[in-house]
Amino acid sequence: MADSYLLLNADTVLAGVRAGDPGAFERLYRAFEAPVFNLARRMCRTAEDAEDVLQETFYEVHRSLAQYRGDGSLWGWVRTIAASKALMRLRRNKYRDTDELTDDIHPGRSDDTGLRMDLEAALQRLSDTARSVVWLHDVEGYTHEEIAAMMGKTTSFSKSQLARAHVKLRAWLGEEVAV
Amino acid sequence: MTTMHCTMEQLLALRGPDAATEPGHAAARDHLAGCVICQQEAARLDQRVARLKALPVLIPARDRYAEIEVRLVKERRIRRVRWAGIGGLATAAAVAGFLLMNLVTPQPAAATEQLTQVMTESRALEGELARLNPDGRAMDLVTAQVAGELKARIAVLDEQLQSAEMPAGHRPTDDQLIELWRERVGLMDALVDVHLTSASQVGL
Repeated sequence: MADSYLLLNADTVLAGVRAGDPGAFERLYRAFEAPVFNLARRMCRTAEDAEDVLQETFYEVHRSLAQYRGDGSLWGWVRTIAASKALMRLRRNKYRDTDELTDDIHPGRSDDTGLRMDLEAALQRLSDTARSVVWLHDVEGYTHEEIAAMMGKTTSFSKSQLARAHVKLRAWLGEEVAV
Repeated sequence: MTTMHCTMEQLLALRGPDAATEPGHAAARDHLAGCVICQQEAARLDQRVARLKALPVLIPARDRYAEIEVRLVKERRIRRVRWAGIGGLATAAAVAGFLLMNLVTPQPAAATEQLTQVMTESRALEGELARLNPDGRAMDLVTAQVAGELKARIAVLDEQLQSAEMPAGHRPTDDQLIELWRERVGLMDALVDVHLTSASQVGL
């Protein structure tokens, strides 16, 4: 999320960026660097890809700032650019989906505590698409309609990806219910 | 008889904002209310989502701002050069039109305008060079040599330009001054390019 300076001085910072003040753009970058990278890193498979998405996001922010009308929050606008850039990166890379393959390696043993993964590892094991849907929906709070629009798919696709991903996470994590 | 439990898609739908009122969810909602197994599954789902939200914020291993800034400076330069080109063409067209219509030689005012324009370009490049902070960056030997040569040539030009302040008869004509400033802009442009390339290669 944006830092308090930017929240309090958003108009001044944006006016500075629009006027070509490099210091103002750096303030904008510093405010959103961590959340943009985190979003990109959670969606992309490698840190290098996430760093590229971080850069591409801020080039786009710089180019498109004139189009930002202040209708929604600045972070919401930047985040949508970041998510789109991350999805473009995933499409470009066309990573091989690995979750189906690894499911077959240990069929029926998902409840074995010895095979339990931590959540980070389980998330990484999901396909790029499924991981992105999980992150965008469950953590960032995007609706299925919004995710479908960003991915160029249907709402049903987004819902089904999310459900299948949770079934897999449930199995891989070997979850117990905390009482 | 086998009991049909809620699917993951139904459990997810029941977490949605319209879960309580959506008629399509009524059957699943009723089943969940009376089924301990599905309630446990729903609790697992809630916990999993809460754990996802609680994952630490990941930060980049290194600062990428300098690289971003270098590219933004380059983009600004390209835009400015394009605009200057358009402006230059427009000026050239206006001057040509004026000459054709009046069949006169350029007036001193036109020379002053050109001189002002080329001096402004030179000042803009000085500003960009300062932003790149060349003295604060490490560079390889070859780049340093090229930059050194360019700076030396600029220094020679600066000496010639200072003679513009000499008494009349010793100072260059307006046309000569414009040429000197144009040469300076060319050299400054090359110097900025050298430092931009160097900065983007080292990622500083």
